[in-house]
Amino acid sequence: MRPFLLFDTATDHLAVAVGDLEDRSAVLAADDFPAPRAANTVLLSSAERVLASAGLRFEHLCAIGCGRGPGSFTGVRIGVATAKGLAHGRGVPLVGFGTLDAVAAKIVAGLAPDEGQLLGVVGDAMRGEVYPALFRVRSGGVERMTADRVTLPEVAATEWAQLGRRVVLGGQGLVKHRAVFEDILGEDGIIADGALWTPDGPALVRAAWTAAGDSTVASIRHLPLAEAYRIAHPAALLPVYTRLSDAEEAERSAGRSVPHNGVAGPRGGETG
Amino acid sequence: MPSGFTTRSARETRNAGAALAPLLRAGDVIALSGDLGAGKTQLVQGIARGLGVESAVTSPTFNLLMVHRGGLPLYHFDLYRLEHVEELDDIGFYETLESDGVSVIEWGDRFSHALPAAHLLVVIHRRTDDVRDFELVPHGERAGQLASAWVDAVETQGHR
Repeated sequence: MRPFLLFDTATDHLAVAVGDLEDRSAVLAADDFPAPRAANTVLLSSAERVLASAGLRFEHLCAIGCGRGPGSFTGVRIGVATAKGLAHGRGVPLVGFGTLDAVAAKIVAGLAPDEGQLLGVVGDAMRGEVYPALFRVRSGGVERMTADRVTLPEVAATEWAQLGRRVVLGGQGLVKHRAVFEDILGEDGIIADGALWTPDGPALVRAAWTAAGDSTVASIRHLPLAEAYRIAHPAALLPVYTRLSDAEEAERSAGRSVPHNGVAGPRGGETG
Repeated sequence: MPSGFTTRSARETRNAGAALAPLLRAGDVIALSGDLGAGKTQLVQGIARGLGVESAVTSPTFNLLMVHRGGLPLYHFDLYRLEHVEELDDIGFYETLESDGVSVIEWGDRFSHALPAAHLLVVIHRRTDDVRDFELVPHGERAGQLASAWVDAVETQGHR
């Protein structure tokens, strides 16, 4: 057994889980509960408690993983910063996954939709905007169809309506914007139960296993610890904010390049 | 037509704040504009008292945000020390405004484009050492109702 700890703090709901790098179906322990704007006060104690429920402590972990967002700006930063500190302190790799992918995994687990069913996950971007992401059910899991971005709820709903297919909808953006999606999608919009709008522990494990690219479970699962730490160094993981800061907007309009990671400033902490 | 009221002491300013408290509900945003010493913190102390906050309310200048637990949570921002609008994301500004309490923002006019479309701007003019004119500039229907109810409440208070 090579246990790894996962958490997500990008929504109003805190989720924690322990997976096993040797078994993608294993959820050794999990918990989730509402913690609006309180992740900083309960994250570490919750992680410790969930680990203990599986008979584990931080020193047993072979990797740390966290939801990279998008979601609550403060929540994402608390999660990513805590994960970086834990991984760095333990000398273990840091892996990430998309928060909206975890929500999609939760919906699939809750509804067991048919193969090919479309899922529209709507994160709350505040200030009247949403983080929409489209997924498709594939082999019992989810396949991501669109990249993370921020837009108006009317824009996302119209795009999904133009697909001309049923879309199962979930995500905390629906708390404020449900009516927009219902109006524009009509019969094609099927709102999932509110309990499926935020991730739980098992959903984090599924999202972590399906995440592709650098600094993911897939990138390190076969590697010895030292090499995994180098490949998925805690400094390399970046949060997904998607909303460009005004400073970046100014850079872009001035014709200068803006990093595509949605993070302000240079990627100074990254090791090469 | 501009509306407002006048106070003649720090105590009257706090009482005016207390008169606003029972009119407030979750999601309301009050932006305060006025020079240093205009009485912004006095007004917030009154609002806090009216909301049943028992902890001491001081200017959050160096803390940027103070959270007070009363009948409704009171989120007391002071944006004086912020230099760039993106720092508002850093302090959780937008998600706090859209949460479960009342937000009062000192120096909110420094980032007027970042304020939500619906908010009540309170401009405090210092007339003499003790006398303050409070000019209420509502943005949105809710803020308009709040402004007129507040003026009524302060006038009722003055006649007691």
